[in-house]
Parts: sequence; C-alpha cells; structure tokens
Amino acid sequence: MKKKVVSLLLVAAMVASMGCGSSNNGGTSNAGTSDAGTNSGADAATTESNEGGDAAATDTASDVEKPEEISIMVDGTVFTKENAQDEFIAKLEELTGIKFTVTQPDHDAYYDVVGQTIASGEWPDVMILSSTYYAGYAEQGVLWDMTEAYENSELKQRQDAFGSTGVIDGVRIDGKLYGMPSARGNGCVTYVKKAWLDNCGLEAPTNYEEYLAMLEAFTTGDPDGDSTNGNTYGVSAAGFIGTEAPYTNYLPEFYQDAHPSFYLAEDGTWKDGFTEDAMKEALQRMADAYAKGVIDPTTLTNGTKDCRDKYYGDEFGVFTYWAGTWQTNLETNLEANGKDSELVALAPIAEVGQYLDRVPPVWAITSQCENPEGVFKYFIEAMQDGGDVQFLFTYGVEDVHWSTKAETIFEGEENEKVYADGEFHGCENLETPGTQYTKAHIDPMLALVELANDPKDESLPESTKNSAALFNENCVAADLVPTTDAMSEYNGDLTTLKNELVANVVMGKSTIEEAYARYESEHGAEWSQAIVDSLNQ
Amino acid sequence: MKNNKKQSAAPSANNSRKHLAAKIYKYRGFYLMFLPVFVFAVIFFYLPMIGIRYAFTDYNGIKDPTFTGLANFEKMFSMPNFWSAFFNTLQISIIRLFLTVAVAVIVSIFLNEIANIHFKKVVQTIIYLPHFMSWVVTASVFSLILAPTSQGLVNSFLVQLGVVSADNMIYFLGDNKWWRFAFYLIGIWKETGWQTVIFMATLSGINTELYEAASIDGAGRWGKMRYITFPALANTILTVLILNLAKVMNLFESAFVLQNDAVLGTANVLETYIYYQTFNSGAIPNYGYTTAVGLFKSAIGCVLVLFCNWLSKKVREGRGIV
Repeated sequence: MKKKVVSLLLVAAMVASMGCGSSNNGGTSNAGTSDAGTNSGADAATTESNEGGDAAATDTASDVEKPEEISIMVDGTVFTKENAQDEFIAKLEELTGIKFTVTQPDHDAYYDVVGQTIASGEWPDVMILSSTYYAGYAEQGVLWDMTEAYENSELKQRQDAFGSTGVIDGVRIDGKLYGMPSARGNGCVTYVKKAWLDNCGLEAPTNYEEYLAMLEAFTTGDPDGDSTNGNTYGVSAAGFIGTEAPYTNYLPEFYQDAHPSFYLAEDGTWKDGFTEDAMKEALQRMADAYAKGVIDPTTLTNGTKDCRDKYYGDEFGVFTYWAGTWQTNLETNLEANGKDSELVALAPIAEVGQYLDRVPPVWAITSQCENPEGVFKYFIEAMQDGGDVQFLFTYGVEDVHWSTKAETIFEGEENEKVYADGEFHGCENLETPGTQYTKAHIDPMLALVELANDPKDESLPESTKNSAALFNENCVAADLVPTTDAMSEYNGDLTTLKNELVANVVMGKSTIEEAYARYESEHGAEWSQAIVDSLNQ
Repeated sequence: MKNNKKQSAAPSANNSRKHLAAKIYKYRGFYLMFLPVFVFAVIFFYLPMIGIRYAFTDYNGIKDPTFTGLANFEKMFSMPNFWSAFFNTLQISIIRLFLTVAVAVIVSIFLNEIANIHFKKVVQTIIYLPHFMSWVVTASVFSLILAPTSQGLVNSFLVQLGVVSADNMIYFLGDNKWWRFAFYLIGIWKETGWQTVIFMATLSGINTELYEAASIDGAGRWGKMRYITFPALANTILTVLILNLAKVMNLFESAFVLQNDAVLGTANVLETYIYYQTFNSGAIPNYGYTTAVGLFKSAIGCVLVLFCNWLSKKVREGRGIV
C-alpha cells in the first residue's frame, strides 16, 4: 500500500514537473520566434506567472504591472481621424489589451500644443517629440529615464540584432535614454534626372568638380530637350540653409564638411562650426555657384512645395530630398506631368562623404506617468515587437489601410492598379482618394527591428527600396545637440543673424569678410561663445 | 458745525446707494443681458493678463517661474534685433496705413464717379475679393509674380520694356532695397477694396442736391470733387486713420509670410521677432523674455490708443475712440 502511495506521489510529481517544463518552454520559444510579436505583452505576462523562471529578465518583468489605460499625444505621423485613427486605435487596444486616449493636435501646430500642455501641468503618459524638444524636456526633468528599463528589455536585443544600436545611442543624453525612436530619422539623397544626364552626355557625378560641371550643363544647355538653351537651372532648394538640424540637408554638395551650427568635434568638445574655415569655404562655393546662375535664383523664397512643383515642371534637374518613399513620389509626379520620370539617386560625392541621418523623433514617457515601467514594457516595447503591434504601426489596419483582397485602385482617371487575391497592397487613401497608403507610423525601410513577414519586398516600389538602401549605406547620424539656458537665451537671435548673413553672402550682397565682420559687431561671436561654453560645461 | 456736516453726509451716501440699487433693479433686464459680456470679458481679456507677471521671471513652461525683476527688459533693450524690429514695426505699419487709406480714398472717388450701377458693382466685387484671400496664398502668388526669373510676370515685363536686363532681374522679395516697396504694393492690392467700403458708405450719404446745386453754379467734375466730395470724406478719413493708428503694433501674418532670411534687417517686426525667439532657439524658449517683449509691445499699443483717443476728441468734437 505504502509502495502504491509513494509511486502515485512520484508519478504525480513527475507529471507536475513536466507540465511546468513545457509551460516554460512555450513562453521562451514564443519570445524567440517571429510569432512573439503576437501580443508579446500577453506572452510576457504568461511567462511571468510561471514559478521557477530563472532568467533575470523574467524576474524584472514579473514586477511590471500592465497599465489599464495610457494617454498619448501624437503628431500627424500617426493616422489622423480622417485616416481611420479610430480603427487603428481599436486594433491597438485589441492587441495590447490596453485602453488608449489619444490627443492629436494639428500637425503644423503640434509643438505649440505640446508646449501649452507641458505648461499646463497636465501631461500625457506618452508623447512624440522631435530632437529639439526631446533634449530640452529631458534636461528639464519632464521625461522619464527609461535607460534601465531599456537595457533589461527584449527590445534592446531585437534592435541590437537588427543593427540599430547606433540609432539608439544617437538619442542618448549623457548616456541616458529618455525617449525611444520607432524608426531611423532618415535624411536626404540627391536625385538627378536621368534623361537630363543623358541629354547632356554626362555620367552621375562622383566629386564636386563633376557635380558643378553637371549643374552648369543643366543651366546653360538644353537638358530637357525643348530645343532652348539656358531655360533651366541646375539645382534648387527650399532656402540656402535648413530650418532645423542638421541645416545642410538640402544642399549637401555645397556644404560638404561645414557645420553652420553646433556640433560635437572629434575631441569630444562642442564647437560652433559657423566661424570655421569649412563654413567660409561652403559659403564661397554657394556664392560662386549662385553668381554663375546654376542655383535657382528663387531658392531664397522657395518652400519645399515650390521646389517640388518646379521639379515636376522640369525647371531644374538636381533636387536633394528625402530618401525612400520620396523618390517614388517624385517619379510618379514627374510622370503625371508628362516628363521623363527616371531619377538617379546619387551616392554622396567624394567631398560629402556621407549623407546626414537626422536625429529621429522619439516616443517619450513623461515623469508624471504613474506606471512608466508598464508603459514602456507594454506599449513602447510592444511597438517594436517584430510582430503584430509593429505590423500595425508599420502598415495600419487590415482592409482599412492595407489589404490582400483582389481589387483595382485608380490613381487618376487613367492609371489603374490591379491587385490579385493574396497580393499585399495599400488601400486607397481615405483622405486623398486616388492615392494609396504606403505606410502607417513606422516607415518599413527605416525600421529598427526586423518585422516578421514584412511584405515590404512585394509592396514597396523598387525605387523606394533602392533610394532607402542607398541612403542607409551612406549615412552618418547627426549629433543630438543638448539644450542649455544660454541656448534658450541667445540662439534665437544667433540663428536669425547667421541665416541673414548666409543669404547675403550667397546672393552677393556682401563678401564673406563683411559678413563675418558683421557677425562680430552684432554680438554673434559673443552669443556663440556663450552657448559653446554652456554646452561644454 | 463739522459734526452737522458728517451727519448730513451719511444719509446722503445712503440715499445714493439706495438710488443706485433702485436703478440697477429698475434696469435689471439690461444688466442681465450685459452679464454674459462681462463674464466673457473677464475670462478672456482680463484673467489672461495674469500672465504679464512672467515678464518679470525666467520661465520655460516647465519649472516654476523664477523672479528676475527687470532682467528681461534689460536684455530686451540691449538687443540690436529688438530695436530693429521695433522701428521696423512702426515704419512699416504707419506707412502702409497711410498708403492704403490714400489709395482707398482715390479708388472710392473713382468708383463713385462710375455712372453704370452694374459695372460699378462688378468692379467693387472684384476689388473686394483679395481681402478674403489668406496671406499665405497671397504670398505664394506674389512670390511667383515678382520672381527674378523669366517665370516672374513683373520682371518679364520690365525686361521687355528694357528697364532691366535678363541677367540682372530685380528680386523684389529678396532684396532689402525692394522688399518694403513690394510689401506696400501687396498690402494695397489686398486691402484697398475692403477699405473702400467705409468711404463708399460716406460718399453715398452725400446729399445729391449739393452736386446739382454745384452744377447749376457751373462746377465741373473736378470742382464738385474738390468742394463737395473731399470735404465730406475728410472726417471719415481722419476717423479711419485714427482708429487704425492704435493698431499699428499688431503686425505679424503679412510680414511673416513675405519675409525671408535676406531681408530680416528691414522686414523683421516685433511679432515675428517674438516668433523667432520662441521657435528658432533650438531649445525650450524663455517665455519670460518673449512675454516681456509682448508686454512692451502692448504698452506702446496702449499709449497709441490713448494718443488716438485724445486726437479723436480734438478732431471729432469730443468723440473719442474709447
């Protein structure tokens, strides 16, 4: 009898231990496979509930409470109401099991509203911030330090495995993380009209001399083949200097190694590149080119839309603009305007070396959030889970933003796109009929984590993929400039002065010497030094 | 004697209070109707004035403001860009005001001379329309019209006339010498039609018998204009000038959309200066400083209102503007 009891107990113990083991295995394997993305938060919770888990990550996770509700403040990079935001959020809530309250001000006024919200003292749990506001708010203690949560997270492993470590390091402030980018910042690539190159008998330029020769040929010759010489320009841009860091984005071939503003030098100190020789040489290059007429004379007053319209109208041939999707957009619009649409995305010329990848916007958790660890784990981390939630943030909701059903989409009256059953494609844009959705919040070409079953290979046009690949292979991350009190005090005036001097030199209104003499006499050097000192403190 | 005076004063005050209360009760309907306006004014005009205190602090919208006394004003008065923006505001606004009113008066008189009523209405409608265009659209249109390229209508015309060469076109919006001229011209194009409304109203109120009498006396068109129309318009012109003079510090949208890096020396006005201080610093701005600039602008505006009120009383026989 005793033997029977003992044997029964032993069998029961064995069965129980087998059950525990299989349950543990299930949790671990789920996390490691592509399916982990499916409700990764729920998977983690399952793992946590298992006794005897020995991984440190599991121990940490078991302390993290899942938030019931998260308030988020987002800009127009997340679907707007007109673009089925309600369906997007409903799906997000279904996947995460969390209720979301969304505040989405008008995209153009987003940072006005962010400032007002912060000043009001009623902060959302999470908000999207550009690099300037991110650094400033982190400095002021508005943002929760997510460094520890990140270092112990599976997100870090996923990003490291995908080669995204550098992007994350680029948004660290004194080694700490206060926000999480959902994608790379992206940057600009120089596009040249292939037909114009062919008409002028030129190859794609590889250095500044060839680049300038190309601009001259485009300006003085007949690159558009309308039998009239000299009725086109080489290059155009929205202003001679950008309105946000890194400022040189739209005319990189002229700026080359110049820094119009503050940058981190190789010796680890902050410097203002405006007074350096590299900047003066850049100004001279632009002034010479402007005097020769190869830069569109209306560059000063152009907005980006003006430039695009002129590009579509074959008024100029070289346009430095965003990598990836925009190459396809430019080509589509050129075609729609009856122009030769093929564009050559230039590798950076020798003097440029690498394009600049701007500091990406981040999702930041505010320090007023009651459960920041939970928000990080179940929302920020889930957004890049490599699975369903990331898919949602990349492509949107099935049959609303994307579909695999057979259908025909008309782009304009003549251009129809026929999709077979099972073929992944973007649905027709709800706000702008006649166009299709290409992405949701995360650009698939800029993702920081590999997305399982990513349909980008079949869904994205070759030109988009090639342009993005070219940029990714030839870019370096721009510096995240911290903010200081001196910067708040002087940089508004300093930037205004710098921009005015750049415009005057390029347009031949003053010489470089006169401009820099004015820079000295109007306190530019003094303000700049005060900011540099504050950055190096 | 003194005691007697006190005794007589107390009942008088009581009577006065009772009288006031009785009056309020009598007109309670009016007071009730005034109440929403009063509440609206308090909430939206007077309560926000509490924000004036930030002008005396360092405040970035996050941490509590730190009292700094007059430091923001000291900084403001030491900044060359501030003074440049201040004088630009006064010059641009006042010159634009006089030009626009002058052109509006001339156009109104011409309109008044049009005999065909249908043609007159069509012309009026056409010249009113630009007022309803947003400044952003206006700026885009004029950037194109004034462009220093063969696409620019004005420069093409000047090249045809031989005034400028094709290699040396005028960059109206990108040159300090020309920017204000272009700005005034655009302002006149956009606002003249709207300004004529008030002058046309005055002209339509002139007794036609005066013109008939003048005709009988042998006055021609010019004579009638000189001795009847102009004097009738004079008071309206002064009123319009005075009312608008009080608002000259409020200049943002039109200047902002038409200015660019090259012309900031002549085009930057106080409100765009505040904008650049807030959004160009690449950092969380010090709202204390921008509030100080705003307060200074309001103070100047207040002085101008009082001056105009005084001027109005002088000119309009005791009728002020406030």
